Amino acid sequence: MYPRRQLATLGLPGTIWVGLFVATALYALVAIAVGGIDPILLSPVPTWNPLHWSFGNLQSVWSALRPFNGPDWVVFERTVIYIAIAMAGCIVIGYPVAYFVAVRARRTKGLVLALFVAPFLVSYMLRMLAWVGLLSPGGWVDSVLGSLGVVGSQYNWLSGRSFVVVLALLYGWVPYFILPLYAALARFDLRFLEASKDLGANPVQTFFKVTLPLSRQGIYAGMVVVALPMFGDFFTAQLVSGTSSTAMVGTLINTYAQSQTDQTLAAASAVWLVAFLALLLAPYLRSSARATAEVAG
Amino acid sequence: MTGMAGGQVEIVELTKRFDDVVAVDQINLHIPSGEFFSIVGPSGCGKTTTLRMVAGFEEPSAGRIVLDGVDMQHTPPYRRNVNTVFQAYMIFPHLNVYDNVAFGLRRRHESKEEVRRRVSEILELVQLGQLSRRKPSQLSGGQQQRVALARALVLNPAVLLLDEPLGALDAKLRKQLQVELKTLQQQVGITFIYVTHDQEEALTMSDRVAVMNNGHVEQVAPPREVYDQPATRFVADFLGVSNLIHALAESAEAEGVRLGLGDFHISALAGDTAARGAVTCLIRPERVRLEPYEATGANRLPGIVERVVFLGHSVQILVRLAVGENVTALISNTGQDVPYTQGDAVQVHLPAEALRVLGSAAGQPPAKTADTDPAAAGAHATTAAGPVPAAETTIGEQ
Amino acid sequence: MSAVQASGPVAGSSGGGVRLRARRRRNWGGWALGAFVVVYLVWSLAPVLIAFLFSFNAGSSRSVWQGFSLQWWTGPASVFNDPEYRDAILHSLLLAGLAVAVTVPLGVSLSIFLGRWRGIASRPASMLATLPLVVPELVLALAMFFLVTKLLHFISLGTPAQVIGQVTYILPLVIVITRGRLASIPSGFEEAALDLGASPLGAFRLVLVPLLAPAILASAIVAFAVSIDDFVITQYMSSTSATQSVPMVIYNATRGSASPALNASAMVMGVATIVLCAAGYAVYRVVNRREEIVLPQASTTEGALGAALGEGVW
Repeated sequence: MYPRRQLATLGLPGTIWVGLFVATALYALVAIAVGGIDPILLSPVPTWNPLHWSFGNLQSVWSALRPFNGPDWVVFERTVIYIAIAMAGCIVIGYPVAYFVAVRARRTKGLVLALFVAPFLVSYMLRMLAWVGLLSPGGWVDSVLGSLGVVGSQYNWLSGRSFVVVLALLYGWVPYFILPLYAALARFDLRFLEASKDLGANPVQTFFKVTLPLSRQGIYAGMVVVALPMFGDFFTAQLVSGTSSTAMVGTLINTYAQSQTDQTLAAASAVWLVAFLALLLAPYLRSSARATAEVAG
Repeated sequence: MTGMAGGQVEIVELTKRFDDVVAVDQINLHIPSGEFFSIVGPSGCGKTTTLRMVAGFEEPSAGRIVLDGVDMQHTPPYRRNVNTVFQAYMIFPHLNVYDNVAFGLRRRHESKEEVRRRVSEILELVQLGQLSRRKPSQLSGGQQQRVALARALVLNPAVLLLDEPLGALDAKLRKQLQVELKTLQQQVGITFIYVTHDQEEALTMSDRVAVMNNGHVEQVAPPREVYDQPATRFVADFLGVSNLIHALAESAEAEGVRLGLGDFHISALAGDTAARGAVTCLIRPERVRLEPYEATGANRLPGIVERVVFLGHSVQILVRLAVGENVTALISNTGQDVPYTQGDAVQVHLPAEALRVLGSAAGQPPAKTADTDPAAAGAHATTAAGPVPAAETTIGEQ
Repeated sequence: MSAVQASGPVAGSSGGGVRLRARRRRNWGGWALGAFVVVYLVWSLAPVLIAFLFSFNAGSSRSVWQGFSLQWWTGPASVFNDPEYRDAILHSLLLAGLAVAVTVPLGVSLSIFLGRWRGIASRPASMLATLPLVVPELVLALAMFFLVTKLLHFISLGTPAQVIGQVTYILPLVIVITRGRLASIPSGFEEAALDLGASPLGAFRLVLVPLLAPAILASAIVAFAVSIDDFVITQYMSSTSATQSVPMVIYNATRGSASPALNASAMVMGVATIVLCAAGYAVYRVVNRREEIVLPQASTTEGALGAALGEGVW
């Protein structure tokens, strides 16, 4: 309907942009991962030609991360555990909130929505800064819990505490979990609940047999939105823990990236991470595609 | 406001293919200037596609569209003197009524005074004068439809295309607007090409009706003719209700044909009386007469009443004939009781002049060009070929 | 919170005499949920408000309250006097401005192309544009770092690279927002414009763009908010300390002994973002109502279904 040429011109800048800064950038990442190091400058050299790829970096990262054996396996294991717990927390905390705002609080929705959008507008860093302030020696959390005798007087919250890292991750990301879940629940037709009640189900049955299954896609979407950044996170652990005992996969990659000679390992680790995430995401993408097909008919 | 002298549309061998689906198959239509021309047919028959090709939104795969002698092939929609009223109106939501109607005039860079004059005039014509400042979201369905109409008409097009414009309105409003549209068209004198799937609507409003099916035009004729003298079984079935009876055409009679139905013989005077062999016959329910079982006379067949349905304005009676066919009769509600109930034996009188032979019972070939079977040429009113308007030769009038 | 009626997932709006009995019996469930949400909101917002509070601390501790003072806001020790903080605030605003200025036109035009192009050539572009949504930001930052340092040497690290990085990261959000809105604009409107005599450019300018205005506005707001808060890509694309953004400053200084001016700098950005987004949202509501797309509701299931599906779109 629009002349093809004019429409193509409209799309050209964007296409060139993503071709360059997404496709080529990711290829550059791969090229470094399969490349070598300049012996003189000691800096990574990208290998653009697939025929000259060397898989040494990928192999050394794999052997470092080898399940249960490699020296860095514990980092990966730890990351998965942190994320799993944080994600469980997101679901337990986030689902009721999303449900409440989407289904029950239709009248005061505006205010509650504004209140839970507010964390998005305040930077992640500031929210971590806030907790560092609270957990520092003499900070409000520290002094309150210390005076209650819950923890010893010299208890250092901010050094090497795994649960603090998990809580920080949870705190940081639960708003991002709530948003897609809220969007999915807001689309939920309340008449399903009426129908269920009409057919004789009590509220608990209705929840588990009607509401929960129909909001499944929303939960998955929230999990994906939240899990992906957590796998690349290094700054949360750094801010609230700062020791290598709580290092995550992201910490590994970031540390490699800071040292010039290890940048090839950073790239290789990143490649493995993406491969792993692709594997993890595949069932979600398939189920999401199927769900879309069901609705579209 | 008078329409322009132009507005004659020729559609020549028009074809449209979507991948391997042929939506419109070599149709030919001639629409003279100032006519209210309807294209009617079931969903998917190609009527909307045809309309879109005339408007310029689809490119024909083959064939030509000629407007007032000019081939429209390389003319984009914004340069054709043709305007459309869309099914969903498509009134611009971000503009008020005035700006919507003025849109086309402003594209032509008309002066402010000219725009104001013409917009006011057309809004008065469609009775929306008071609402010019409203936004579409503040209008009712009927009002939106009028805005769409005004917006198109204000440009004085040679042809106005209407794509099921009344589809989204409730029945009562629809009837009212049908009358208004017809009056408007007569006032303005512009050629209207009106697409609808509602056969009653087409019959009510049009000067001529084209019945489309599966990309073909089955018949083009004035409403009376297309209803009383349907050329094909599809047309008979699509327009109004029809009784279809299978019989054997045996021999010629004085003015018609002698038909055999089981052990009975009846005559038919209308339709393809030259046909022989197994044929399908049509008679409209309102022409079927029911008489007491003892009645005698020609063209009467015995049967049993199966069901009586009260429709308000009339009563519908379903009769199973002794020869096995079902016939529906329609009796106007005259305030008196209908003397038949379920189980009664009756004589079904099928008046010979109302009984129409539709040709071979093996199915109607879709009539597309003039090279039809010469034996059938006399009766078939298929004007899919060439510019022959209403002068079909048909046998059997009232 | 009187929105609670019966407990459990029962629509609260459909009332009825029989319900009243159930209401009184099952109220506790709804109340518990409401209380839970209140607790959540407090947990979510209180730490931030406390951090803001500490920017008014009389002492130089960020965790121990020593009284109220404006010293970190005005005077020699204020956040605006400190070159590091001041430069970071200005740099963050600069990046955000540039990010919005580049991402919105780029994303909107690409979305229109993807939405109106009949053909499969648009699939790769669509997938690439939304790829940043499915990889961790760290991976993208690393990839772009290598691209800029090993291949596209003419792009220097610092502001140019930071802008490019942020634009690439934000682009998928703009595209999702715009394509969502575009999907609810039937191409029939543009056809109507053509029918009435507008050229394709005219239809684009007079019909499509105005109807897209809410999405364009929303994209700008989101782009600004995401850019202001971005850390990883901004860090990886940075060069000298002159190219530090406020999140970067916070990251570097949090575990140290920085004064509450740090809190103040964070508060400046936070408040600026909230104010801007609130104002933007108010404008958005006005624009959205003005461009409300209204189509005849056919009295068929098709019309009702269409309306229902349409509600899920931005």
